[in-house]
Amino acid sequence: MTLLSDLQNALGEENILEEPIELHIFSKDASLMRGEPTCVAFPQSADQVAEVIQVAARHEIPIVARGAGTGLTAGASPIGGGIVMVTTALKSLEIDPDNRTAWVGAGVINLDLSTAAAPYGLHFAPDPSSQSACTIGGNVANNSGGAHTLSEGSTTSHVLGLEVVLADGEIVLLGGTAPDSPGLDMKGLIVGSEGTLGIVTRALVRLLPIEPDVRTLLLDFPTVEGAVATVSEVIAAGMVPAALELMDQRMTTAVENWLHAGLPTDAAAVLLAEVVGELEDVDSQAGQIGEIGRANGARDVQVAMTEEHRALLWKGRKSAFGAIAQLAPDYYLHDAVVPRTKLVETMKAIYEIADRYDLTLLNVFHAGDGNVHPLIAFDANEPGINAKVHKAGDEIVAACLRVGGALSGEHGIGLEKRDLMRIAFTEIDLDAQARLKEVFDPAGLFNPGKVLPAGSRCFDFGGVRREVPDGAWV
Amino acid sequence: MTYHPPHIARLVIQAQGAPEAELTVAPKSIHDVAAVLHYATEKGLNVQLWGGGTHSGYGSPPMPDIVMSMERLGEIEAWEPGDLTLVVGAGARIADLESKLAGENQTAVLPEVPGASTVGGAIAAGVSALRRGRLYGTRERILETTVVTGDGRIVRSGGRVVKNVTGYDMHKLNVGAFGSLGVIVSVCMKLWPVPPAGATVTIESLDQASVIARPLAVLEENASTRVFLWGTHDVVSALSARIDGEPADGLDWPADPSGSFVWSVRVPPALIGEAIIHLPTGWRYLAVHGVGDIRAASDDDDGASELRSWVESVSGHLVVVKAPSSLEGFDPWGAPPAGLELQKALIGQFDPARIINPGRLPGGI
Repeated sequence: MTLLSDLQNALGEENILEEPIELHIFSKDASLMRGEPTCVAFPQSADQVAEVIQVAARHEIPIVARGAGTGLTAGASPIGGGIVMVTTALKSLEIDPDNRTAWVGAGVINLDLSTAAAPYGLHFAPDPSSQSACTIGGNVANNSGGAHTLSEGSTTSHVLGLEVVLADGEIVLLGGTAPDSPGLDMKGLIVGSEGTLGIVTRALVRLLPIEPDVRTLLLDFPTVEGAVATVSEVIAAGMVPAALELMDQRMTTAVENWLHAGLPTDAAAVLLAEVVGELEDVDSQAGQIGEIGRANGARDVQVAMTEEHRALLWKGRKSAFGAIAQLAPDYYLHDAVVPRTKLVETMKAIYEIADRYDLTLLNVFHAGDGNVHPLIAFDANEPGINAKVHKAGDEIVAACLRVGGALSGEHGIGLEKRDLMRIAFTEIDLDAQARLKEVFDPAGLFNPGKVLPAGSRCFDFGGVRREVPDGAWV
Repeated sequence: MTYHPPHIARLVIQAQGAPEAELTVAPKSIHDVAAVLHYATEKGLNVQLWGGGTHSGYGSPPMPDIVMSMERLGEIEAWEPGDLTLVVGAGARIADLESKLAGENQTAVLPEVPGASTVGGAIAAGVSALRRGRLYGTRERILETTVVTGDGRIVRSGGRVVKNVTGYDMHKLNVGAFGSLGVIVSVCMKLWPVPPAGATVTIESLDQASVIARPLAVLEENASTRVFLWGTHDVVSALSARIDGEPADGLDWPADPSGSFVWSVRVPPALIGEAIIHLPTGWRYLAVHGVGDIRAASDDDDGASELRSWVESVSGHLVVVKAPSSLEGFDPWGAPPAGLELQKALIGQFDPARIINPGRLPGGI
């Protein structure tokens, strides 16, 4: 039996794609790296996921799981081929308002979950900018963050349980609604593992009450330093706003040209701050944030008084990446974290790197978390530009690591940052991670070549360092 | 007294309250920890980790050859108040640490009434603060761990920033693992700012708490139920006034109940009221509403089996935290967890000779 006929028998012909044009669509995620899927499978249930895994094991072919494909690090790009397993058909959704939890199929879209929970006065806290497209399965795989991670944490803090299909096809339920399941927290390990340990088919997530009140502020600063100092002082004053987002002038200009959200384009930086909670609390915090901003040179402090105004301010932030299209056809978005106290010097270093390479670089990021997202806009058709963009990108990451930062705050490692893992960890650290992988996936069929650099396992130390593999289109 | 090589013998101490063992040591550095574990692996000696001794009753009673006290490894290595991050040795006493952090109006959100508990002990046992419903549990506060594996490797996972998705979250896996994946030597935690005011409002019925969307905590004990609030002075007084109850200034955290037997009852949050009704007569309890975490104590184990049957029928857990002796026919953890074989295989990668707290984990692993 061929791979295709085995898969068609297991899932039905209608759930397998094999035409070249169809394969091309699933050959990459939102990153710049493309692979070549052998075929694309759309399992309709956890049982079918298990069947695909068993077929893949028989044929010794890798499985690359994928949701909406909004990932930015090639985590879902089938580099080296394999079955792309799209989990978007797993759309079950059971909300348990009494326990403030929901069992959510991996294919449910992030925003749809919060929309469905809203009638119960609940919402799902992680809110990546791609939330109207990205799936819960993808959020779990990447431990996604978002603008509101500052106060509520990343996806891992909101996953109480998982239904996972293991390498041998067994379907296990990990965790649960009751707190502190005894034993090793394997769901905590699987969140953020980028489809390399098992395939998540459903997640039991925590839902938070929608806060009774919200104040959204827009502060405009003549200097980036003033905006960053405001972020630090707000936190030093004992407040943890729901969000503290910073956009630089290059970015506000791009957004305004397109969206007309009322952002001041003559400001060096704007800070979007949001506080949530009881009425008395949000008024008090909004007042304090305004004062701290003014003391740091804010020229203007807007407080959204209506839901429409608030939505417009957020639209300006969340649509920022879409605004890049006017500047250049392609962009390369970075994701790194630095200690908040190092933000000013890091921003300077990032601008300096971009200027040196003569690249258009814009910034919009989660300032409260120190999670920077420098974005390089470019035209991939320009000769030699790809190499330049990647070199600048590596320098930016190195600058972040130098001040004690991390490789990725919320996008993950995937393929893009895989080889940088050696800078962040020792050989022994990486060997430990490779051992975890080996326990879950002894045959190495789950998303091979992602997260861990080749040779992470000690016994093949000294091997040739593998760069981006052949066949990847960068 | 058996002969031990000088690099091990020089670490010998008397650890107060620690169980009897052939060898009791207190490493002075991470390399000492590695040396001890390496030695233990080589000789096949069982190691019990010792912090404040507050979680020593979890799981099957250990029979250690070596007791390793973490008391000399409790220094603050780095603390950046502006970054809300702290790197601290596992042996730090929680009470001492939190009082230092309070000087900068910060907290690590570790248990409020910790007794002699250490940071490493709380993490290894996976216990959380009473504020966990609002500020999340201990697991969510761990950003990085540095551990020494059973066979003496030093392994770091995570990073020293508040948000990080670099590689597998082994640091989360170490929470509640009782050292089975490695002895936690130091940890980076995400701190939280402490606002200037707090209040405790005693209420008659839980409905009265529902006027506040996300209070710091709602705690129920046998005799009283209280809502805990924090914020600026004005906000706290406005919110206390909104609750129909008896307000008092400050946050007066209760200690976990004590007795010959101590239990941890874990149920889906919506069933916490029902779980309280199912507690055997005479049990003292402290229930964390919104979480499903009940800390209980009793003078005997009458009714524990019936309670466990009910708790497990609602997908919860009844865990023995402390008992005067091993309970006949009553597993300290209850039904074995899912994926037990995988758990064993994971531990096998980090503690191949199974020397760190062997047999103490659920499923007897």
